[in-house]
Amino acid sequence: MTAVEVQQTPTAPEAAAAPAGTGGLLRRVLGRIVVGVLAVVLLVFILGPLVWMALVAFSKRWKAPALLPQSWTLDAWRNVFTTTPLGHAFMLSLIFAVAATLGSALICLPAAYAIGRSNFPGRRVILLGLFATNAFPKMGLFTSIATLFYGLHLMNTALGVVIVQLLGTVVIMTWIPSAAFAAVPPSLIEAARDAGAGPLRVFFTVTLRLAAPGISVALILAFLACFDEAQGSYLVGAPTYITMPTQMYSLVENYPEQAAAVFALVLTVPSVLLLLLVRKHVMGGHLAEGFQLR
Amino acid sequence: MTTAPGSDRSDGLRLSGISKVLGGRTIVEKMELQVSPGELLCLLGPSGCGKTTTLRMIGGFLNPDAGRLTINGVDHTHSKPERRPTAMVFQNYALWPHMSVAKNIGFGLKVRKLSADKIRQKVDWALDLLGLQHHRETMPARISGGEQQRVALARALVLEPEVLLMDEPLSNLDAKLRVQVRETIREIQQRLGITTVFVTHDQEEALSIADRIAVMNNGRIEQLAAPAELYARPRTTFVAGFIGTMNTLDVGPAGGGVPLDDGALLPCDTFSGAAGDVCWIRPEDLQITEADHAGSVRAVVLRVIPRGHYREVLLQSHGSTLRAFTDGEPDVEQIVGLRATNALVYADDALVQDDEPARPGRAVRAVADSGDRG
Amino acid sequence: MTATDTAPAAPAAPDKPVTPSSGARSPRRWSMLFMASPPVLLVLVFVGIPIVIGIAFTLGYTGGLNSIASMLSVSVYTANGWMPSLAAYGNVLSSERFRSDLGVTIWVTVLTVAIVLVLAWCIALYARLSGGRLGKMLSGIAIIPLFIPVVIGAYAIRQFYLNTGFLVSLGRQFGIQLPSWSYHTPGIVIGQVWVSLPFAVLLISSGLAAVPNALIDAARDAGASLGRSVWSVMVPMTTIPTVIVATFTAVGVMGSFTVPYMIGPTSPNMLGVTLQATFVAYLRPQDAQVIAVVLFVLAAGIGALYVWANARASRSSAVQL
Repeated sequence: MTAVEVQQTPTAPEAAAAPAGTGGLLRRVLGRIVVGVLAVVLLVFILGPLVWMALVAFSKRWKAPALLPQSWTLDAWRNVFTTTPLGHAFMLSLIFAVAATLGSALICLPAAYAIGRSNFPGRRVILLGLFATNAFPKMGLFTSIATLFYGLHLMNTALGVVIVQLLGTVVIMTWIPSAAFAAVPPSLIEAARDAGAGPLRVFFTVTLRLAAPGISVALILAFLACFDEAQGSYLVGAPTYITMPTQMYSLVENYPEQAAAVFALVLTVPSVLLLLLVRKHVMGGHLAEGFQLR
Repeated sequence: MTTAPGSDRSDGLRLSGISKVLGGRTIVEKMELQVSPGELLCLLGPSGCGKTTTLRMIGGFLNPDAGRLTINGVDHTHSKPERRPTAMVFQNYALWPHMSVAKNIGFGLKVRKLSADKIRQKVDWALDLLGLQHHRETMPARISGGEQQRVALARALVLEPEVLLMDEPLSNLDAKLRVQVRETIREIQQRLGITTVFVTHDQEEALSIADRIAVMNNGRIEQLAAPAELYARPRTTFVAGFIGTMNTLDVGPAGGGVPLDDGALLPCDTFSGAAGDVCWIRPEDLQITEADHAGSVRAVVLRVIPRGHYREVLLQSHGSTLRAFTDGEPDVEQIVGLRATNALVYADDALVQDDEPARPGRAVRAVADSGDRG
Repeated sequence: MTATDTAPAAPAAPDKPVTPSSGARSPRRWSMLFMASPPVLLVLVFVGIPIVIGIAFTLGYTGGLNSIASMLSVSVYTANGWMPSLAAYGNVLSSERFRSDLGVTIWVTVLTVAIVLVLAWCIALYARLSGGRLGKMLSGIAIIPLFIPVVIGAYAIRQFYLNTGFLVSLGRQFGIQLPSWSYHTPGIVIGQVWVSLPFAVLLISSGLAAVPNALIDAARDAGASLGRSVWSVMVPMTTIPTVIVATFTAVGVMGSFTVPYMIGPTSPNMLGVTLQATFVAYLRPQDAQVIAVVLFVLAAGIGALYVWANARASRSSAVQL
């Protein structure tokens, strides 16, 4: 099935919206109202907590039943930037996440290419095996990993933290890019070979170019997974390396509500920025495509 | 599909003043069309002419912005697709991939809550009708394109629709299969006497299958006629250009012939009308004779294209390039004589007929707009 | 899914031209296998070995690498020579705390999967059928949690449903006493749904987008109402994405830590939290490992469902239209 058919004129909707007398009109109005109410509920459900938290970050005095703070302040922001190790934790998070993402790309992308573009025996087993790593509960895995890391002297090392973060990205970094590689039409590659380009050149000018959106989605999701990883990084890195999310856990318990809110907002910024970059591709189905087992 | 009360089987399908605007563009404009019971009518035209939109309005997938649509006397202008006595054969067959052939055919009957026995009986009838019994339990993806096409037809016929709609049903088949399936369709349609609207952009298909053809352009019907009439007397230059091949000479008739580029006269026996701005001649209406034969003009053979049982000949005569069909075997660069038996004369793009004077302006915009076929 | 005309009788048209030089030549095969091996090795070493070590530990093999963990423990059950000991399992599985936590875990997982499926289907279906701006907006909103780190989301949700939070405050504006869901089980479900919704909406939307309009039109033409068309055509054709969503969501929720840790009550809570507490607070890594194995077995069962559904799909009607 091709994408062309999907992009036909949206006819079913039109037929659905067909007026059918006054009874139909009443039903349509009722339908509109129901949809509207549900939309508002969804909006509050998803965005409500975030908006509420943002308000907390700027509030000075907020007594319970009020829906808005009584007075506002930027004190919490000043406090967070001066008294918590925000900058240090942020830099540490960034370095670890970038290192783990690059490592993951280096290790997984060739595999993704192999899985996506050839049919060697056992490729499904590999995909499923990698997926199975997700099935073992993270906490249990980390405690066992700690055991191994003690043996390998990786505890409390930067490399240990990077490895732990990298492990969480393997599925993302193989499944999504392999689907992207598989989706490159063979005819385009053949056409490039036909035009006289060598295999390497074809790979860089055609295959990689066409798979780029899928790969970038995977890269950014992997980066975010690393950036947000808390438990493993804590178990392996603490107390030497405290990243932002680990800091967040202790902040939530030990600092005033406002400070936690500010910290949370700051921690959200890189994710939101990065995901806005690839939003189109994520929505466009590269993520979904990556999770169909072929 | 049971006949609705108050319906009149003898009325067939009737579109009056149907219009549709999509995305600010008028796709169908004040269409008038009547399809008699048992008739197979082809909607023929280039892509973007509004033929599929018309069909979708008949099927209920689009709602007309204006006008009225009745089927056997019952108003169906705004009724939903599932409430119409129509059944559609879709361009890509639209077989449900998760249902077997028999399930595909029986789905509509199941929706109508027929008993399992009755459904099996009717599905069997449809499978027999199209020779599909051996594929009863097969999944649609496992059968060939031609068979998929037949399943789609069976699925439509089993509902015993009052009007059968077919949206370019043959466009995905290869040339040979297309002819075969087309004959099957025609044969079954005549046997069941089912009112049918058939959309196609293939003129040969339309000419060979239809009782009547409506040639559409820019949302209007340019001409509605039986195939032979349409071919012999295309009412507008658009129709003339769309159906078959034409030699288009941009001059009116003069002195019993058609002036060629340098003024020499191509002799012609008959004209559709006495005066007009252009003369169009079908290749089969050009006769190749011996050079300097009486009542002929000299021409030189440029190219000979074998077409199986006849030959298509490209000729140069007094500055004009002409195309003729012939049974003879002229050689390239041979000097021959050329004469015409009949020429169609158009004024303002409308056919000039002796018994019916040309109506200027009627089809001018048709040609002017035909550039934006999408 | 390119093989549109799979005429069985048709002469051997190459139905899946994978690469210019397809995997027929064996050197290429081996090089491909070689390229695919690094992540496999990585996972074998850093996930496979720990899991094996962990399982060995639960069976009482406390020597070797496990000796450090044993040292850190308050108490361990040790295998009798080579004979595995199931004492740790017996100890954990018989504990009241574990049973109630397992109940909570299963209950939260089932409820979350059900709610996520219903919500995602409603949103995706509405967006697909209405095709309007509101539909696009709704699915856009549902994706937002993907943008937010789970720690933050969980924290924000906890504050939102606290008895000083928005919901309770809103109720009090109208004199209604609404429950505070933070630190209670419903709060966990809310958090899990919030976190899981984006993936579900994305997958089901793309599944629905892949159903050609003509197939829906054909069903309506055959006399089915819109609802019936959705049920008979769109639902069966979107089975795979739905199963993927259900399994990934279930596996994710079951082993989750952050959401129940942030939002949930002290006890009973989900096993992910119990596991962490058993390890960190009670210093019983062996018991923690037992819990991990139990969760793993449950997740593996769900994973099998996913594999089965995929296999079934590729067997029956991989080719659409």
